[in-house]
Amino acid sequence: MKRLLLIAGVLLIAGCSTVQPWQKGNLAKPAMAFDYDPLQTRFEDHTYFSKEGASGGAGVGGGGCGCN
Amino acid sequence: MSQSAGRKSASINRNVLAAALALPGVLPAAHAQVTVPNATLVHFKYLYYRDYQADSATGSGERMTINSPALYLLTPISDEWVFEIGAVYDSISGASPYFHTVLSGASGRGIEDGRTAADVTVTKYFGGRTAVSLRYAYSTEDDYRSNAYGLTVRHATADQNTTFTAGIGRSNDKISPTDGPQFEEDKETTDFLVGITQVMTPDDVGQVTLYYAQQRGYLTDPYKAFWGIDNRPDSRDQWAALFRWNHYSQTYDAAFRSSYRYYSDDWQVKAHTVTFEWAQSLPDGWTLTPSFRYTTQSSAEFYYDPIYDPLLGAPFPPGYLQNPNAYYTSDQRLAAWGGMTPGLKVAKALPGGWSVDAKAEYYEQRAEWRLGGEGSPGLENFKAQFYQVGVARKF
Repeated sequence: MKRLLLIAGVLLIAGCSTVQPWQKGNLAKPAMAFDYDPLQTRFEDHTYFSKEGASGGAGVGGGGCGCN
Repeated sequence: MSQSAGRKSASINRNVLAAALALPGVLPAAHAQVTVPNATLVHFKYLYYRDYQADSATGSGERMTINSPALYLLTPISDEWVFEIGAVYDSISGASPYFHTVLSGASGRGIEDGRTAADVTVTKYFGGRTAVSLRYAYSTEDDYRSNAYGLTVRHATADQNTTFTAGIGRSNDKISPTDGPQFEEDKETTDFLVGITQVMTPDDVGQVTLYYAQQRGYLTDPYKAFWGIDNRPDSRDQWAALFRWNHYSQTYDAAFRSSYRYYSDDWQVKAHTVTFEWAQSLPDGWTLTPSFRYTTQSSAEFYYDPIYDPLLGAPFPPGYLQNPNAYYTSDQRLAAWGGMTPGLKVAKALPGGWSVDAKAEYYEQRAEWRLGGEGSPGLENFKAQFYQVGVARKF
């Protein structure tokens, strides 16, 4: 686990070649957002939250449900 | 012109260009950045969910059906404040298992419930690269009520290539079963998150998030406790590490989105989850997005297989009489299995900022799909279908 995080951190920082502001046209496309469809994300997160043993990771203060 | 004067003039030109590009609306803003949104977004979706599973006792298949209209609004109310609101109503009907995959009787324990949930998020932006968000979420059902709060801070470096995120949340829930003994119990969740988002190349953005949650209070399923056997610890500590990577392909004019999450808790549930999506742009504003999700989990240490006490029979685990107050669960959600979700989404952008979309997904859990270990034996495969249709407008 710790090694995995270290590798990921190194990869992220190694990737820090400075991208200039005018080079961000592709990154600005809606499809490149992590949360590109908030209602879809909520619905799917809620579904998996209520059917699986694992949950969490993307946000805080989500709130619970009965979900039987 | 001397060499140094030439360098200086080139550097001034670059600064002028950067300053001009930095004017609002001139520069493309990567989603990894901290920037004030400049448009109002309204989304409406209608969601239909159904799940089914052969009942080990009767062979009947249908379980739950959920119909959910949902609304989301994001609006900047000034150049420093942004307001978001979400609302959903779940109309739930069907049957839930008493224990393992036994729905009991021909029809199962019938459930009719409605869940109303709403959340409000207010975000204040400071100095163009820091954002503080406060969130409140409320959710209510016949037998469950939740009040949740969250505070998230995001801060970007001056070049907007790195964003740091930190968050803390709290959820105060009340459980009051409508079936079986009447009581009210509390459950509190406190969660924390730290993350880093990095623009890596003009076509790649990555994110690492670490998550920790503490659940305290009544964590047992009250219905399974009454109709079957369910008794869980009153504390659960959960950890997750989420890695996301989005890549834009110039060759195909497509966005490839992927994620991996490692999850672990002190009930000994460990899970690995991956998601892949390929958002393919097509002519005339169409986007086609095939998606795939895979998850694999181990069982909670107190989960028992559907092998029952020789004397007492179902739903009692072997040796129950000697140890009736030990922790037990027969909940499939805490068993060991693997799950897959293939999906397909189609979206079309229309004139005037409108867009429409539809998505269909199929979900199945099977013991033999568990990776790196045996799945829990004796459970029927769990299957579900998700359908979403949406309309959105940006203005």
